[in-house]
Amino acid sequence: MEYISLITGFIMLMIGLWGILSQKNIIKIIIGFTIFDTAINIIIISIGYISGRTAPILDKAVPVKDAVTKIVDPIPQALVLTSIVISLGVTALMLAYALKLHKYKNTLEINKFKDLKW
Amino acid sequence: MVAPIYIITIPLGIAFLIGVLGKSNKNIGGMFMLIALACMSFVSAQWFISFMTSTQSPVYIYTAGFKPPFSINLLMGLNEAFFTLIINIATLLGAIYLYNNLKKQGTNAMSVFLGFAMALNVMVMTRDIFNLYVFLEIASVATAGLIILEQGLKSTSAGFKYMIATGIISSILLIGIIFAYNYSGTLNIDGLIEANIGILKGGAIAIFLILIAIVLELKPFPANGWALDVYQGADSGIGAMISAASASASLYVLYKLFAIAGESWYPVIAVLGIITFIASNLFGLKQTNSKRLLGYSSIGQIGLLITVLGLSPYLGDKFEFIAVTLLISHYLAKAILFWISGIVKAENIKNWSNLRKKPLLVALFGTAVFLLLGFPPFPSFFGKWELVMQLANSGQFAWMTAILVGSFFEGIYLFRWFGYTLKLDNKELPEYKMKLNKIIPPAIFGVAAYILGYYSGTFVDAAKGLDYIPLLFIAFIALINFLPAWVKNSISLTGVILYIAVIFPEFDGDLLRQIFAAIFLGGAVLALFAGFYSKGKRSGFHVVTLAMFAGLAMLLKADNLLEIFYAWELMTIGSYFLLIRGKKSMPHGYSYMMFSLGGSYALIFGFALAFVSFGNLDLQSLSGITIYPTLAYSLMLLGFMTKTASFGLHIWLPGAHGEAVVDIHFMASAILLKAGVFGIILVLLGMGTEASYAKYILYTLGWIGAISALIGNIAASFQESAKRLLAWSSIGQLGYIVFGLALMSHLGWMAGIFYTATHFLYKGVLFLTIGGIALKLGTPYMYRMGGLIKKMPFSFIAVLIAIITLSGIPPLVGFAGKWLFYNAIISQGLYFQGIVVLFSGIVAFLYLFRLIYSVFLGQLKDEHRNVKELPLCLLIPIYILIIAIMIISARPDFILKPIGNYLLAYFPSGALNWNGTMASTGLGYWDGYWVMIIVGVMFTLLFGWLLILNSKSKKVKQFNMVYAGEKPFRPETTHMSYNMFSGYNKALGFFMMPGVTGFWNWMSDILHDTANYFRRIYSGNGQSYAIHIIAYIIIIYLIVF
Repeated sequence: MEYISLITGFIMLMIGLWGILSQKNIIKIIIGFTIFDTAINIIIISIGYISGRTAPILDKAVPVKDAVTKIVDPIPQALVLTSIVISLGVTALMLAYALKLHKYKNTLEINKFKDLKW
Repeated sequence: MVAPIYIITIPLGIAFLIGVLGKSNKNIGGMFMLIALACMSFVSAQWFISFMTSTQSPVYIYTAGFKPPFSINLLMGLNEAFFTLIINIATLLGAIYLYNNLKKQGTNAMSVFLGFAMALNVMVMTRDIFNLYVFLEIASVATAGLIILEQGLKSTSAGFKYMIATGIISSILLIGIIFAYNYSGTLNIDGLIEANIGILKGGAIAIFLILIAIVLELKPFPANGWALDVYQGADSGIGAMISAASASASLYVLYKLFAIAGESWYPVIAVLGIITFIASNLFGLKQTNSKRLLGYSSIGQIGLLITVLGLSPYLGDKFEFIAVTLLISHYLAKAILFWISGIVKAENIKNWSNLRKKPLLVALFGTAVFLLLGFPPFPSFFGKWELVMQLANSGQFAWMTAILVGSFFEGIYLFRWFGYTLKLDNKELPEYKMKLNKIIPPAIFGVAAYILGYYSGTFVDAAKGLDYIPLLFIAFIALINFLPAWVKNSISLTGVILYIAVIFPEFDGDLLRQIFAAIFLGGAVLALFAGFYSKGKRSGFHVVTLAMFAGLAMLLKADNLLEIFYAWELMTIGSYFLLIRGKKSMPHGYSYMMFSLGGSYALIFGFALAFVSFGNLDLQSLSGITIYPTLAYSLMLLGFMTKTASFGLHIWLPGAHGEAVVDIHFMASAILLKAGVFGIILVLLGMGTEASYAKYILYTLGWIGAISALIGNIAASFQESAKRLLAWSSIGQLGYIVFGLALMSHLGWMAGIFYTATHFLYKGVLFLTIGGIALKLGTPYMYRMGGLIKKMPFSFIAVLIAIITLSGIPPLVGFAGKWLFYNAIISQGLYFQGIVVLFSGIVAFLYLFRLIYSVFLGQLKDEHRNVKELPLCLLIPIYILIIAIMIISARPDFILKPIGNYLLAYFPSGALNWNGTMASTGLGYWDGYWVMIIVGVMFTLLFGWLLILNSKSKKVKQFNMVYAGEKPFRPETTHMSYNMFSGYNKALGFFMMPGVTGFWNWMSDILHDTANYFRRIYSGNGQSYAIHIIAYIIIIYLIVF
């Protein structure tokens, strides 16, 4: 059971990759990227997961002295926060690019942007 | 000292501050940005200097006061100081260069630029792998922002492809990082090294993902189409930043992570690197867009650096020196090239001739090209040398070959491009402005290339003996380039004469070097003296001429193989620039450079084998090659024969020399070719005749010499241009010399060396006179000349004496050469080759007759009625050479006796017997002194008799005759000297079929077609590029695991 999120993560990773590599519409490619990023976040979380433990938040339920035995690994969770921020930035920039590309050629087909080649 | 953390906090703070300033305060924002970058450079520089000069120990910076693994830590050591320094200097100069562009886009762009610089610094300094990922992403996002600084369809679509690619790459990196954490429990790089997770299967995959992501950041072939598009689409100022700053940072990251990966990854990385290096440079061959071409070259160079990193186990303690010199050369050269491409604003490389409107840009371009290709005096020269030597030392010959082949490909397109820049017409091209802020950055890097070149030399033991004084003198001449030619000529002449006074005593007791010094440096004096004919500035001429002569002098002074190679390459640079100065010499200068480049790679390969066999770089190492000796000697001979233009490697010469003006023709033909002879002598002295392979090499060499003699002389007879005639004749004459040396006997060598000296004399006379006449008449074609004997009597006498010498008729000194030759051939029993050489000697009469007849005899052309004798500055050198010919003709023993004594050390048997002035061998005797006197008396008597007879004859004026019939359609075809030897042409013309040229063209076509076919994988579709990246990862995974 503890591998369920890891497996889900990898399945989503494949879906995201499939989206990036097969969709011709730039917006769909960007959606592929966001699925891809989310999948990685799920993988990170599941790596830090320890069966039967709780979230690494120190409050009344988890006193500091018991924290080591009660919470899951906090580092991946911290990493995910950073990673989410980064993918937000990247997605925003990609969308901005998509907007600009649309302005130039009135299309979002990625095949149409082959001016630079060889 | 300022704490290293300020490298990060300053740009971060200022970036936010600029953001707050808002759009109205662009100038203040810009100032702040420059100040921030300057502060960062200062901090790095301070640390770098402190590491270099004192025993400063590396400093760790812990964030938030905790030690890892509870915090992120940064390191400032020597490596970090160096890398942050070069990154910060590049971004500072880059910001100056881009100042107006950034200002146009507003303060946000400035913040992004600062963020870009900061991210690269953190990538270098961080010791936390997740932190590395974060800043890699920040750098990517900032780069994606900077790519659209210049807005347009191209930059936008390139930027989007960049985002797709880096998005995938960084995700792969993140997966790798998280699994590395899973197996090791730490994100700290030092912790990861300790954990040694590579031994676990899962850990190895984690490492694989991390490494492959960083390699992908470095744009490996073929998963690099996106990078090419970025280089092409983005502003050249941004291209410079990506190529110089980002690539340096990523390379250091790869180096840093290598420690986690362990040794088994080295070969993999090296292979990925070399594939990139070769493929990228191959594909560059068909590229005509300048920025994309620079992209190919950048990617190639980074590939080379990755290879060096992967090969580091073979490079021993020289690894750092090699990596740093090659990196710094790439860094300086690429930044310069991208920057100037932004100034000249020419997309197509054929439009770069526009660069010529500003000489400074041409100088910078040349500097960058030679810097990239590892020529002296630049750091890359020493780097490449050490790389090849160390690889040879470890027995990695396949790697050596691959690296040299890749470099050669790079040379092909860089020199073609450079040739276009130097020679193509630029009248139609648009004007452009050279703004101060755009020219300062490349100029600083250009100067740095020379300084660092000198500095790199001080780290190489074998280079300690290099004499930099001539180079300083050349730099001085370059600085006074704006002065008129006669001033520079006088200064150069003084310099050369002073240098001769210093250098000549050094060769005391070494006859061989004395003879060559007399040819090279005596020739330099005569050539520079002849140079007084030219008016105007003659921009750049003296710099390159002196560079060539400095190279020649260094060649003689060289005590070890490195110095020989240094001198050889320096001479090549100088001569390339001289040869390409002619009006139509673009293709010829180019092919000269291609043969020279190929030749010098052959040489360095041979030298490396000698070095490994002998254990050090002394000149004696040439005599003891034990590892692949046949290959080593053949390669070295090939390398030197590219300069003697022997058969097969000769196709550059006729065009290059035929297009050169008078004094350059003299230098190139009479002097430069002898450098090759000197090299062949060194190699043959080393090889000897004892070894089993020597016989085959010498046999082949002998035939090459004989065929060169035959082909050269036959082709000379069928030329219409007097200068090409002389050029082909040089090929033939050099063929004699090579043949003589290949005999490996006392007489053969005596003939070879004697020919070397006398060829300089009589060919010198011919080049200066005929070249001078061609310059004066404005045409080199002999059928446009004629009847000049009365207008130019002194030239006529000079040419007459020279061709008598060349043809080997007594009493002049050419006969001595021939006499020695036939003695040597017959005593060796090489009848078949002997017949070829003899036959070619007879053929020589054809072209010599044509030369003197067509130019001086016959009818004077109407347009030449006002032609005057050659100027004194040409006649004086000519007559100095004539006097030398007469002296040696009368007393050949003056020079033959010392040569004989010198050769006794190497070839004790078969020497000439001297009896006073009479020389004899087993086959016969000859006395130059008495022959001279007897012929002289006969000549005087007959000449006097002729004068008496002539006084009775009736003088007929030129037009005292009747023309019948119509005016011919093409008058020149009725000229006797047009197609003069058509009969012989029918019989022997097949020798003239350009078979060799055809062969080389065929080779070139194959190469270019291959490039054109395979570069189509870069389809321009961002999605295909993403597929390339994924496929790349999968394929490498399958191969590795």
